[in-house]
Amino acid sequence: MAQLPDQTIHRDPQLFYWILVPITVVMVLTGILRHYASVLLATPSKIIDRPTMKEQRSLIHGQTVRNNHHVLSKKSFEARREVLINAYESGAYLKNGAGKDQAPTNPLTDPGAMDGMMGMMKNNMAMIIPNTLIMSWISAFFSGYVITKLPFPITIKFKSMLQAGVATKEMDPRWMSSISWYFLCIFGLQPVFVFLLGSDNAASQMAQQMGQMGPPPNQPMLGAGPDTNKQFLGEAENIAVIDHYSVLDDVELRLLKGIKG
Amino acid sequence: MSRQQEREAQIYPIVSEAVIHNTKILTNLQNVTASLFGVAAGILGLESYAGFLFYFAFATLVTFLTYVLRIAPESISAGLPLFDTSRFFRRAVDFWIGAVFSGLPGFILTWTLFYGIVRA
Repeated sequence: MAQLPDQTIHRDPQLFYWILVPITVVMVLTGILRHYASVLLATPSKIIDRPTMKEQRSLIHGQTVRNNHHVLSKKSFEARREVLINAYESGAYLKNGAGKDQAPTNPLTDPGAMDGMMGMMKNNMAMIIPNTLIMSWISAFFSGYVITKLPFPITIKFKSMLQAGVATKEMDPRWMSSISWYFLCIFGLQPVFVFLLGSDNAASQMAQQMGQMGPPPNQPMLGAGPDTNKQFLGEAENIAVIDHYSVLDDVELRLLKGIKG
Repeated sequence: MSRQQEREAQIYPIVSEAVIHNTKILTNLQNVTASLFGVAAGILGLESYAGFLFYFAFATLVTFLTYVLRIAPESISAGLPLFDTSRFFRRAVDFWIGAVFSGLPGFILTWTLFYGIVRA
C-alpha cells in the first residue's frame, strides 16, 4: 500500500483561541471547582458512642500487640497477653455486657453503615457528573471539524473514537476532533492538578480513587457485621500461640559489632 | 520470608510515610519537567520517534541529576556502591523508570498543544 502523503490542512489560526484554549481552561477550572466542592460537602466523621468504640479499639489493640510483639520485652509482653486473653474470654469489652452469640448487625438497617455508603456514592457522583456534562457540552458545540494534529502516528482503528464528527475515509488518524482533545486533557491534566492543589485533591487520579474507596476510620464497621465475640475469641487464641522474641534480645552484641566495624 | 529476613525487617523497619514522601517529591518533579519538555518538543516541531526520544532522554537526564545532586552525597558517604538508591527508595526500578513514565501524559498533552499552535 502506498504511503499516504503528509496531509496538511490549512486552518484558521483563530481556531486556537476559540476552541483549544477554552476547552483547556474549562477543564482546569472544573477540576479545581470539583475539588473545592468536595471539600465543602464532605460529611463530618460520625461520632460513635463509647461502648462501641471500646469494643472496636480493644480488638485493634489485640491485633497491634500481635503484630508488633517484637518491640516489647518479654515481661511486658507477657503482662499484656494475660490481661488481653482474660478480657477477651470473659467478654469484658463487649458492648452489651455478657450477652454472647448475638446476631450480626444488618448493614442496611444500621444507620451508621448507611452514612458510610452515602459518602462513597457522593464521591462517585461528584466525579461522574461534571465529566458527563463537559463531554455533552463539547460534542454539542465543538463537533464537526478537526482541530489539531497529533505529533505521532496512530493506527486507523482509533479514527472512529477520535474523529467523532468528521466521517472521511482517507484522512490521517493523526487529525483530532475536539472530543479527542478532551480525552487527552483528562489524562494530561492530572499532573497539573497534583501540582496546583497538592496531592490528595479530589480532581485527580480518578481511576485510583474509584478503586480504593474505604470508610474513614471512625465509622462503625461496614459489611456483614461479624459477631464481635467470635472475633475476640479468635484474637485471644492468636495471641496465646505467639512465640515471643524481642528485637532487644541481642542488642548489645549488635551494638558492639557496629562499633568495632 | 525466612525468619532471619523477618527479624532484619523488624530491626530496621521501613516507615511508609517516609517512602510516600520520597516518591511524592520525585513524581512532582517529573510531572513539572515533563510538561515543560512538551512545550519544548512542540515548539521545535518534533515528530513521532524524535519526540519520544527527546522526552525519554531528557527525563532520564532529570532523574540522573536528582540522583547526583540529592542522593549521592548521603548515599556514597554511607558506603553504598555507585548508582544504588536503596537508602531512599525501595526498588531501583521504581526510581529510574517509574518516574519517567509518570510524566508521560503531561508531556503528550503539552506537546500536542504547542505542536498544533506553532506548526499550523
